[in-house]
This record gives sequence, structure tokens and C-alpha cells, in this order.
Amino acid sequence: MLLKNTWNELIKILAKPRSYIGFGALTLLIGVILVAMKADGKSFISFVTASFEQTLSFNGEILNGNLMAFVILQMLIIHVPLLVALVTGDLVSGEAAMGTLRMMATKPISRSAILGSKLLAGAIYTFLLTLWMAFMAYGIGQWMFGAGDLIVLNNDGLVIIPADDIMWRYFYGFGLAYLSLLAVATMSICFSVFSDNSIGPIVSTMAVIILFTIIGSLDVSSFNSLQPFLLTTHMSSWRSLFEMPVPVDDILNSIYILLFHIIGFAAISFWRFNKKDINT
Amino acid sequence: MKLFSIYILILFSFCAHGQDAQSLLNKVVNKMEGVTDYSANVQIIADIPLIKILPSNAKIYYKKPDKFKVVSKGIAILPKQGFTDMNAFLSSRDKYMVVFAGTKNIEGVETSLLTVIANDSDSEIILIKLWVDPLQVLIMASEITTRSSGNVKIDYKYNLQAKNGLPSNIKFTVDVKEFKMPKSFSSNPHKTSKSKGNKRKTGTIKLNISNYKVNQGIANSFFVK
Repeated sequence: MLLKNTWNELIKILAKPRSYIGFGALTLLIGVILVAMKADGKSFISFVTASFEQTLSFNGEILNGNLMAFVILQMLIIHVPLLVALVTGDLVSGEAAMGTLRMMATKPISRSAILGSKLLAGAIYTFLLTLWMAFMAYGIGQWMFGAGDLIVLNNDGLVIIPADDIMWRYFYGFGLAYLSLLAVATMSICFSVFSDNSIGPIVSTMAVIILFTIIGSLDVSSFNSLQPFLLTTHMSSWRSLFEMPVPVDDILNSIYILLFHIIGFAAISFWRFNKKDINT
Repeated sequence: MKLFSIYILILFSFCAHGQDAQSLLNKVVNKMEGVTDYSANVQIIADIPLIKILPSNAKIYYKKPDKFKVVSKGIAILPKQGFTDMNAFLSSRDKYMVVFAGTKNIEGVETSLLTVIANDSDSEIILIKLWVDPLQVLIMASEITTRSSGNVKIDYKYNLQAKNGLPSNIKFTVDVKEFKMPKSFSSNPHKTSKSKGNKRKTGTIKLNISNYKVNQGIANSFFVK
């Protein structure tokens, strides 16, 4: 029953035009970035290496598909959650607004199964969006720019990773990105359970992400104790996969925190949905 | 009269040293100029503050007077100064003056220190110190002071191509400027900037050069990017 209902939920997601906004926006954004880099990527590279170029010369193809995928993931990981929330924030509250939620609840399926199927459908949609982002960033990037060693900037300077040591990092990197987006999706579904209109959960999710991002980026000592627990802080944890050596314990810590968020939001959603007085 | 004799003696001794220095440098430059082009395989081991890179392999190509190309599968870091610029500078004999500045023992070899000073006040290379093995006419070490890139110290070791003055191992010691990334660009929850206290300011790049192919002819078009 759960799987059948999940399939129904997926059909409902696919039937809504807004579900394609995310894919369209990603295609356009990544396309623009790739074309811009193809046209004028050298100046971007000089920004990266300028501090060293007085004494050192960097030889080889720095501007390659691996760098493009890194730049795109870095640029979009904060913005893609908004595209996810656009669909997942509507999953429960949209039906409440249309009046179909009440009808669903009269069917011989438990409320937990209804919500479970919506969560699963949201997770599948998020996965497809992440997969599309990976295809556009990594696949098209490699096709346009070719492979090569990856130069990564971090707080300590430059890390140069050989080309044959990169693919597994992206595999896990996009996996971590998916986990972050899944946490956002569950948060927006959680907000959706509490609301009877579509706009509220979507805007609330956006507001939380913006607020957490600002708190996370401010170098203020009073926020330092808060920052390690914020969802948005761990959305950039995929970057640690591009360190040498890879800080496995730190990455696992991020995974645990993201899973805690996912389970926490899902648990609140189930608790609320089972007690919810469905009037519409 | 006695004072005048001492003055003449000192002046003569300086002139003699100057001539010695010039003739030794001429021998070095003549040896360099015997090589019109070469290609070689090179293993690059860079230990530079703020840059983490594994050893890489590349192929280098040189053609007189200043054509130089690095071909590598991946990213290879090399010093900006010290390859072609020194050769090109030393080959233009009217652009500098040279003085003898002492001797130094480098790994058992008694070397003569030649200080090469640029005549032109706008020259990119301001000063070169060369520690030359006068018996084999080989540069054992050098220190290049440039207008824009600071100091580069270079140590050379020779093997099969010593007769052409081409080293088998080169160690560059370069100055590296401090580098601070904006937080927004390098945001990583697992990384915090280290304190500036004990950061190194110099880095080394070691080159292990093998499989030299000397004076086999390389077309100019090969060096066009």
C-alpha cells in the first residue's frame, strides 16, 4: 500500500508544472556557468592562482571538467534547497488547500502510510534533482572541458588532487549533497504538515535556510557554539571530500547531524500528521 | 710612494679577480651556449606552504635563447624564475658586470662565488650569485634576485649531462607570499584557519631530470601556445 501510494504521489508531483522548474532552473544555471567559463574561465583561474603566480607557474589544464563540477556544486548547494522546497513544501499543505487531503484520509490507508509515501516521493524527487545536477555539472562539464587535475581552494590554501583520484570523491560528494537536500526536503514537509496553504511552508523553508546561512557565515563568537549544529553548516561538508587527507571522522559527524535532522523532522511530521485535525 | 704602490697593488688585484671572474663566467656561458635545445623527463616534488600537491611528472622542452615549454598530463608547479631567464640574461654579456666574491665549499667541491650585477636599472633580474665549480665549469648553486618575484635559490646536481652543463637534480627555494581566502569562497565546516604565527614563507621545488635529448632540434612552432 505504501509503495502504491508513493507511486501515486510521484504521479501527482510529475503532473504539477512547478516540479519542472527545478530541472529547468538547474539546466539554465549550469548551462550559463559552463558557457561563461568556456568563454572567460582563464580570468576565474587567475583569481585562484594570482597570489602564487609571482613566484610560481602553474602548468597543465587547470580549467577542466572536474573544476567545473566543483565550482557548480559550490555555487548551487545553497540555492538548490529552494528548488526542492518548492515541490516538497507543497506535498501536504497543497492537498490541504485543495481539499483532497480529507478525501485521502477517508481511504483504507493509515495516516502514517499517507505521510510516509509523501516523504518517499519527496526523497525520490530530491534524488532525481541531485542526479540531474550531477549529470549537468560533472557529465556535461567533462564533455565540454575534459578531465584533469583538480585545484581546490580552502582556508589553508590550495589542494591539487590528481585526476585519477577524483571520481570517487564526486560520487560521495553528490551523495552528501543529496543527504543535505533530503534534510531540507523533510524540513519543508514538516512545515507543510503544520500548514493549510502552499506558500507558508515554502517561504518558511527559504527563510530558515537564509537565516541559518547568515548565522553560519557570520564570524561572531556568540554564534560559534551554534554553527556546528545548523543544517546549512553541514550542507558544505561535501567539500571535505576534496581535502588531502580526507577527514573521515568530520564527514561522518556531518552525516550523523544531517541524519538527525532528517529523522527529527520526519518524526515531528508523523506525530503532527497523526494528530492533525483535517478540516479541509 | 709606498702608499701609491699599495694602492696600485690592490687595484691590480681587484682587476685580476675581475678578469678571473669574467673569464670563469665566460666559460660557464660558453658551455651553456653549446646547448641549443633539449627535452627531458622531469619528476616534480613541490613542498610549498599553502599548496598541497603530490609529486607529478612532466616533460620539459627548451630552445635557445628563452623558449621553454612544460607538457604534463596533470597540473605541474614550477618556479617562475630560474629556467630560461638566467641563461638568457647571462648570454647577453653586455648587460651585466661580474665580480669575484669569494669561495665556498659545497658538498666537497670548492666553488668560486661570482656576483653578476645588472647594468640596466630597469632589468627584471637585479643580481645573480653563482657558485661555480672552476674545474668542471659547472654552476653548483645560484641565487637570483628579481624585481618582481623576490629571491630564488637554486642548488644543482649533475650526472650524465655534466659535459653540457645540464643538471640531473635541481632544488629551487622560492619565497611565497601570504594567502588568505575569503570565508565565503572557502566555506568548509570542518576547517578553520590556522594561526599565522608559524607559517613558512619559503617553499622548495625539487626536480629530478632524466632522459635528456640534447641538440636534436625542436621547431619554433612547437613552443607556440
